[in-house]
Amino acid sequence: MTERRYRAVKNSLIPTPPFLKGGRGGISTPSATPAEQNPPSPPLRKGGAPVIQAAGITHRYGAKEVLADIGFSIHPGEKVVLLGCNGSGKSTLLKILDGLIAPTAGQFTYDGESITPARLKHPALHHRFRREVALLFQNPDAMLFNPTVYDEIAFGPRQMGLTDLDQRVRHWAAQVGVTAHLERPPFSLSGGEKQKVCLAALLALEPKVLLLDEPTAALDPRSTGWLVDFLSGLGVTTLITTHNLSLAPELGSRALVLGEDHRLIHDGDIHGLLGNMELLAAANLVHTHSHRHGGVEHRHSHVHDWQ
Amino acid sequence: MNRDRLLLCLYLAGILAATLVHDPVWLGAGLALVLLLAGGDALRLLRRALLAILAFNAIISLSYALMAWWQDISPWLTLVRLNLRVLLLTSLTFLFIARANLFRALDFSKGLTYVLGLAYSQALTFRRAHEDFRLALASRSLRRPSLMDRYRASAAAASWYLEKSLHAANQSAQALRSRGFFHD
Ligand SMILES: Nc1ncnc2c1ncn2[C@@H]1O[C@H](COP(=O)(O)OP(=O)(O)OP(=O)(O)O)[C@@H](O)[C@H]1O
Ligand SMILES: [Mg+2]
Repeated sequence: MTERRYRAVKNSLIPTPPFLKGGRGGISTPSATPAEQNPPSPPLRKGGAPVIQAAGITHRYGAKEVLADIGFSIHPGEKVVLLGCNGSGKSTLLKILDGLIAPTAGQFTYDGESITPARLKHPALHHRFRREVALLFQNPDAMLFNPTVYDEIAFGPRQMGLTDLDQRVRHWAAQVGVTAHLERPPFSLSGGEKQKVCLAALLALEPKVLLLDEPTAALDPRSTGWLVDFLSGLGVTTLITTHNLSLAPELGSRALVLGEDHRLIHDGDIHGLLGNMELLAAANLVHTHSHRHGGVEHRHSHVHDWQ
Repeated sequence: MNRDRLLLCLYLAGILAATLVHDPVWLGAGLALVLLLAGGDALRLLRRALLAILAFNAIISLSYALMAWWQDISPWLTLVRLNLRVLLLTSLTFLFIARANLFRALDFSKGLTYVLGLAYSQALTFRRAHEDFRLALASRSLRRPSLMDRYRASAAAASWYLEKSLHAANQSAQALRSRGFFHD
């Protein structure tokens, strides 16, 4: 399935965008980035400098702390899953990493460039960053404002002044399976269809980094399976949030876990995490309740599949 | 009577007075009084009130001015009166909301407090959502969003609100009914 998708992508009319060529991702690691500029980072998982590097990120809404001292780095081509219970600050972290809100403290760099809403006022940096980093909002409605699905997908590419606009729109619409809806107004679609349109709209810019906020929340099991295959066929760097533990290993190989205290309580291999019930319970990602089997009652921690 | 309820009574009296008085001088005096009461926040209050009524008042004033020109009457007195009154009512409302705790002002009635709670949570939800619409447009724009795009995004946000609030109103009515609200 994955292979077929991948080939379908490769054989498309459009020349293969650089980020689809292999698992390394399209970030051309700049050798210009001086090593001294980067604080010491964990051992490199993939080659080259990190594409995203966050240090000491803390965020408060009013007096309420929702992120506490978050630090990590992500390398080109990595597939990272961000896990955390409701209200742990996942969406807030993604908005910070997309340069939309300024953290109360701490900073992060994209490809060696420090990113803040203030620095993004520089047109050149803004253009490059918005072109290369895309965020799928948790509520897809927030992203849909164009009169038709076609215009929605064309919104990004139109700003780049491309000549193959129509081809590009139809290509990505076909990739996510919304070709039949191209002429419909986006608000008339179902939740899952909206999510696919948003995804096509983001992919049409051919970004290097995809930040996806609960992309499977509105999808039925079949569409979820499709998305998993689809994402693993793309060579882009991805950071995906979810609180669905059973899906997490399908979405990435490395997990970041936000605890209930809004701190990063795990950063590492996802399979190691899944065996660590203590940690999962601390993150409020599993729950304990009683079971009754043939008259014997016992309690144990429990993962609920498909949310 | 607690302090917040007293403020509520004063506020209601103020609203009534502002709708009964027609002399622009008195309306202006009322506005001056509100700003005086606002103290250090006066400028911010005035700015917020002006922004809030700008679009509405501009359209009403313009259409009235056109009509007056057509019928060959002088529009000035009516225009000044209308704009002053709306500005006075808006600033008074903003000042009241900033200074009084509505929940405590209405705590004599369980029902009113409950309705206020619903309205408040709706307002909060909508404020968050509005922020999300704004951020989503920013996130997808390689350049500064054009006026047309901003217009489209806020139109989408508005229609989303409308649909949501209709749905929410429906839900709230059902919730009220299920809690026996319409019987006591
Ligand atoms: N604009 C805002 N203003 C004030 N508080 C906010 C705002 N946005 C989020 N919060 C609060 O910050 C906390 C973290 O929110 P966030 O949306 O980042 O959590 P999350 O991990 O994405 O949760 P979920 O799994 O429910 O999506 C929550 O308690 C939320 O109520
Ligand atoms: Mg969230």
